[in-house]
Amino acid sequence: MDDLTMLRDLGRGLDRTLEHEPPAGLARQRRRLLDEAAGGRRRRLTPFTGGRRAGWIALAAVAVVTAALVVVPTVLLRGTTGAHTVAPPAGDRPPKKGEALTVLLLGSDRRPTSARVGDLGERSDLMVLLRLSADRKRATAVSLPRDSMVRIPQCRSADGRTVAAHEDMINQAYAIGGLTCAWKTVESTTGMRVDHAVAVRYDGLEKLVDALGGVEVTLPQAVNDPKAKLKLPAGRSVLDGRTAVAYARLRFALGDGSDIARVKRNQALIQALLKKVSRLDDPAALAALVRVAATSLTADAGLDLDTMLALVGDVQRAGTRVTFTMVPWRPYAKDPNRVEWRQPDAARLFDRLAAL
Amino acid sequence: MVSLMIPLATPRLDSDLIAESRARPEAFAALFDRYASMLYRYVSRRLGPEVAEDLVGETFLVAFRRRDRYDLARPDARPWLFGIVSKLVSRHHRDEAARYRALTRSPFDDVAESPAERVEDGVSATAVRPLLAAALARLSKGDRDVLLLIAWADLSYDEVAQSLGIPVGTVRSRLNRARRKVRESLGHTNPLRDEE
Repeated sequence: MDDLTMLRDLGRGLDRTLEHEPPAGLARQRRRLLDEAAGGRRRRLTPFTGGRRAGWIALAAVAVVTAALVVVPTVLLRGTTGAHTVAPPAGDRPPKKGEALTVLLLGSDRRPTSARVGDLGERSDLMVLLRLSADRKRATAVSLPRDSMVRIPQCRSADGRTVAAHEDMINQAYAIGGLTCAWKTVESTTGMRVDHAVAVRYDGLEKLVDALGGVEVTLPQAVNDPKAKLKLPAGRSVLDGRTAVAYARLRFALGDGSDIARVKRNQALIQALLKKVSRLDDPAALAALVRVAATSLTADAGLDLDTMLALVGDVQRAGTRVTFTMVPWRPYAKDPNRVEWRQPDAARLFDRLAAL
Repeated sequence: MVSLMIPLATPRLDSDLIAESRARPEAFAALFDRYASMLYRYVSRRLGPEVAEDLVGETFLVAFRRRDRYDLARPDARPWLFGIVSKLVSRHHRDEAARYRALTRSPFDDVAESPAERVEDGVSATAVRPLLAAALARLSKGDRDVLLLIAWADLSYDEVAQSLGIPVGTVRSRLNRARRKVRESLGHTNPLRDEE
């Protein structure tokens, strides 16, 4: 027997000599903490407080979500020859129910070193599932951490090979079979019917941000990462394209090596982008934006201009409110540097979304 | 604009709770509810139940007072909490060694153990417990912290590094040394199995 296993066993042996949990004494300690908390209430709060609520209010304009994530690609698809479209997954899919809409949004990353045939050379760095209620009044954006271990269903690769179903990180789906495979994976793991899918490349995002004249973010703490050539003060900063993308992709010296903190920064960046786009009322600027983004977007063919414009109209009338959340997760049992979705919480979340 | 909030029952990250507690101090109690039992068990193993209760309470008071300095980019607060625990435990360094020595003499209340549990544990394991306890008593503070954070707190190497504020390389070398000593005391030394 391994020495660590024996130590763990020793630990369990010691537990048996203790009283049953939770020990009554802990209740006393909890009161001690609450007393301290009550005394501390009078103290001045830090500037970063109230984050969640304020964050949600900042998100209030979801018209924006659709405008930025959906309209822009659509306009492109129609207006340019360089736009890419993909087909929805084939085979068995979750059934479409009602008028609610689900859109998969991918942020992808081009690997400069990869030149192999059949390898798209891109990984999905960011995955967000956006659910828009039937009355368009509510929207929820669920981030799916890219290092989530899931079952990737059988997919067809770009060079026509069939890749068998297997367990892997969710972002591998995009590397295997592009947007269609990522789409199929998300449908099979969440059980939700995904109506549309859009992929944006980071290099495109960079240009997009520059075309918008930069985006504003508020940082809870200063960032200094020589590796990413990124140095930002705490508080408000306006980021240009390069800095914004570096910020979004930064992993810091994050202890758990996982993706969660990065997901949050990505969300913050999306919020900032949306805010900027929502205030864009100059047609020339919008046209420039569209041109810039044209080469870096992929979407499904079903997302045509008419569909989209109608949707945006609905959303603007309804005054949709969006909430960002993340799929419930925990460290992956076989590798703490990966995560897995925590069941049944994750399944429940998708059930609720589907009922929205 | 309609302000509808979707009441998603998504469990919240530790970092969210801590952020909220900066505005609403009582929110910190949720962190207590999440981890007090886990920390209590860990400290009880090292120092015994009498000390554990108070030490866990103190851990949360320290954590609460430092919540403004918590790095919100870290979703999981366990490494932070175990770091505080480790500091507080180290004040009881002598008591801890004495406890392990005592365990080598009058080990464990295994009488009440059911046969099923005994099978699960492995019969040989019970026999080596006094040897393990003796080995723990002899480890240096730093080595013991690393070994037990891995074996009893189930932290990863990175998390241990974060907890103790030391490089991951140091975690590895301390762990290797500690495990070698444990194996030696069990008489299982096999140089080929040593990682370094």
